Amino acid sequence: MHMSPQQSPISLLREKREGLIARFVKGNEPCFLERHTEILDEYFHESFFSSSVGPQMRMEKNPYAIVALGGYGRKEQCLHSDVDVLLLFKKKIPDKAKGLVQEIFYPLWDVGLEVGYAIRSLKECSTLASQDFEVLTSLIDARFLCGIFSLYSDLKEQLRGKVLRRHGRAYLDWLSERNQERHARFGDSTYLLEPNIKEGLGGLRDYHAMLWVALTTYHINEPRDLEFFGHLSHDEFQSLCEALTFIRNVRNWLHHLSGRKCDQLYFEYQVRLAQALGFKQENGQQPVEGFLGALHGQMEFLKRQHLMFLNRAVRAKQKSERKKSPRKAVTAGIEVVRDALDFESPEAILRNPHLLIKIFEMSAVLEKPLSAGASRLVKEFLYLVNERFQRSRAVIKSFQRILSAPPQTFNVLSEMLNTGMMAAFIPEIMGIVNRIQYDEYHLYPVDKHSLRTVQTLKELRDASPDTQDAFYGKLFRELQNPELLLWGCLLHDVGKGGQEQDHDDHASLGAQIAAQVFKRMEFPDRDIEAISFLVREHLFLIHTATRRDINDEKIVVQCARKFRDVERLKMLYLLTVADSRATGPKAWNDWKAALLKELFFKVFHILKKGELATPAASEVVEKKKEKVFQRAVSIPTNTLETLFDDMSPRYLLYTSSKDILHHIELFHSLGQDPCVLETKVNPRTNYRTATICARDFPGLFSRIAGVFTLNNFDILSAQIYTWRNDIALDIFKVKAPPDTILEDEMWDRVNKDLKAALRGELDLSTALDQKVLAYQSLQRKTPRKPDKVNVDNETSDFFTIIEIYTHDFPGLLYRITNTLLRCGLDTRVAKIATKADQVVDVFYVRDFDGQKVDSPEQVAAIKKTIKEVLANGANSKAQSSRLKAESETDSTG
Amino acid sequence: MKKIEAIIKPFKLDDVKEGLMEIGVQGMTVCEVKGFGRQRGHTEIYRGAEYKVDFVPKIKLEVVVDSELTSQVVQVIEQKAKTGAIGDGKIFVSGLDEVIRIRTGERGKEAI
Repeated sequence: MHMSPQQSPISLLREKREGLIARFVKGNEPCFLERHTEILDEYFHESFFSSSVGPQMRMEKNPYAIVALGGYGRKEQCLHSDVDVLLLFKKKIPDKAKGLVQEIFYPLWDVGLEVGYAIRSLKECSTLASQDFEVLTSLIDARFLCGIFSLYSDLKEQLRGKVLRRHGRAYLDWLSERNQERHARFGDSTYLLEPNIKEGLGGLRDYHAMLWVALTTYHINEPRDLEFFGHLSHDEFQSLCEALTFIRNVRNWLHHLSGRKCDQLYFEYQVRLAQALGFKQENGQQPVEGFLGALHGQMEFLKRQHLMFLNRAVRAKQKSERKKSPRKAVTAGIEVVRDALDFESPEAILRNPHLLIKIFEMSAVLEKPLSAGASRLVKEFLYLVNERFQRSRAVIKSFQRILSAPPQTFNVLSEMLNTGMMAAFIPEIMGIVNRIQYDEYHLYPVDKHSLRTVQTLKELRDASPDTQDAFYGKLFRELQNPELLLWGCLLHDVGKGGQEQDHDDHASLGAQIAAQVFKRMEFPDRDIEAISFLVREHLFLIHTATRRDINDEKIVVQCARKFRDVERLKMLYLLTVADSRATGPKAWNDWKAALLKELFFKVFHILKKGELATPAASEVVEKKKEKVFQRAVSIPTNTLETLFDDMSPRYLLYTSSKDILHHIELFHSLGQDPCVLETKVNPRTNYRTATICARDFPGLFSRIAGVFTLNNFDILSAQIYTWRNDIALDIFKVKAPPDTILEDEMWDRVNKDLKAALRGELDLSTALDQKVLAYQSLQRKTPRKPDKVNVDNETSDFFTIIEIYTHDFPGLLYRITNTLLRCGLDTRVAKIATKADQVVDVFYVRDFDGQKVDSPEQVAAIKKTIKEVLANGANSKAQSSRLKAESETDSTG
Repeated sequence: MKKIEAIIKPFKLDDVKEGLMEIGVQGMTVCEVKGFGRQRGHTEIYRGAEYKVDFVPKIKLEVVVDSELTSQVVQVIEQKAKTGAIGDGKIFVSGLDEVIRIRTGERGKEAI
């Protein structure tokens, strides 16, 4: 190396680092960490040799050395990593040591490096290392820099010979405990979206922990020995190196972009990092999604290697304690060894490839993991998984058993995914492996999420009876074909592997893919149809619950029509719950659970009752619509469509197409008037039909009834419907007047009174008071049955149904409807029927908040009030005045 | 300054949010809330077991605006949260003494 004499070591360091960083940013420095380490090493050498304090410390009397520790010791020096160094003395630390520190270490701070240093004697080192395993850990990574090499050897010897021999076991326990703590702390969901590259699950620390274990247990000298001594296979070691290179590179870029020692991959850096690492838009994935997917894959690999390695290290310790472990066959070709499953021999797999899935099945049944060797063999023999294997009934059966096996601490399905068995068996899954969705909502890559959904469903299935989740378990156990639902959970997001950008369309694409999988496996047609349905509609319920008005009967009926039967509803409901829960905390909470459950029950009841949502009912309604379209030539199609949307399912089902058309015409003639009245007078019959189309408001029905009574028309029956555009259609049948000569004039007056009453210009109450008084003498002459009032909250999820059985008297309907209004009830549908003097009135009501009235106190109060009104008839003066007050309030409103 | 709180139906949130953003409301707080009014909730009976549904899921929206904007904001919420049917929720308007932005220490209008 050429060195100009006037340049100080520190300015050289600064210059070299700048050059290194410039090359790195341009992408021309593949070995940044090593080069960075070398540059620092060079600095220490040069400043040590040119030191003025150094020679005064009499190295020959008290030898000393400078030793690199921690990450610097491992030659993993990232851009802003700390530089950890130890100034090691053979004996007591001389006073001059501080001077050396000032001379050599301080300048590093000036160029912006964080230096962590310790000055210790050999003895202090071993004492401290025995007491504090943090110190021991940093010393394990020690690397000689300059000074007396034999001192460094002494240090190593002391660690090995004294500290680790005495405390090796305790140190291993401490390491594994600390790993668990670290994993628990960084396993939190936030770290899934913004992973910690160093401390997180699958972070570099996992690799360090492996190294520390290997250094202490197997006494290896450097990472390559892991392969050399057979602790890792050649492929595994290659993959490990690849993973480390990738993750370290990410970490270094993160340091560069953040300008500091930052190891957590915050959102703000993710897009820029993807760009820096050269990720491109691919397969419908954004660069950042591709980058996070790759990172996730590498960290997952590291995490697994780490767990496997620790597992083996612990076993190795146990193995040495009980020399030889027995092998026990559990089924032909598969054995249990040291509580893990292994193949009898590689030849056994060749003879019977079915073992490749059988071993996972046994793993699920016996609740024992695969041995590391077995996992390795599965990977190597994946080429045996051909189309014949994929179609085999026996294989599919084995897989179904794995799917429905109880959830356990280790997940057999993830093991299948990690060994590549899952994607070999169902190649369609390949597209979602490590597929990232870049948002704050989806915590897991799509493949992990799919497995979590299966797992969550099984947890719901096995929920203990006294928990909230017991309900889901109950529903699950009622399913006729629960395997189908498990398949649905596994495949629901399979469409996310698609090429297109639009994630919203993944459901229909997924349905096609799922059908393709089922066809290959030769499932019966009805199952193929069912799986397509589950996958295609897997977002339907949650979207309806959160984006639609589920208190609107029409919405719920439309929703119900999607489901062929209750079984389908239950399956989709359970899939929705499992899917949402497995997505992350933003997708699921009590609040959403409540919404979804409410929707479930409403749809469930409608399907149970059949009436409105049966295929026959849908067909009838469709036919009616067609007829109306044909006849209503003057009205534009989209206007008609809008109106159909506003009509309730009940109205559409029970009104003839002729009447619907008629009502539409009435509505069009409404204009600015409060109402239109249309009467059909057939002189030969003894009743008249009056249809009133009006803008709805609370009390409308009661006022119309009042106007009829005022004009001496007896109401025989009435039907009211309310469209969602706030148009009410009230159809009254009234007795024909005794004298029909002046009937036209009578109807004119009804029409005039109606408009006045609806405008609030007619004081109905006062007018009726006088009328009713005249009838009083006619009351209670016939024996009468007691009045009956039923309040039914069971039949409908949307309305409280009030049934009234009583004797007719003039003004009855006006009284009742006005009472309902006074009780704070809005009448949406009513059926009034009179037989002789017996009246049966049915009202579908809700309170003004659009909710049913179902508290016992409210129900009792309603019953009591109605009964009083019925009993008193028109007798009570107080009643009349109250009604009057009510009427006035209405007119102002 | 006024604080406007609105309880609306969950599926109306997007409409209301858009409407408010159109008239220049910069920020709002949205909570998923559960509550009940006069009705005490009901019990679903499914195959002999009872499942209590004792609250109604709603959305609560909080907006703090300069007093001049109040009527406009109320109007937008009213319009957008309306389904035409009844039961569309409530809007509460209350006076506000002070707003402080913690980071800068700004007070009053500036801190909204």
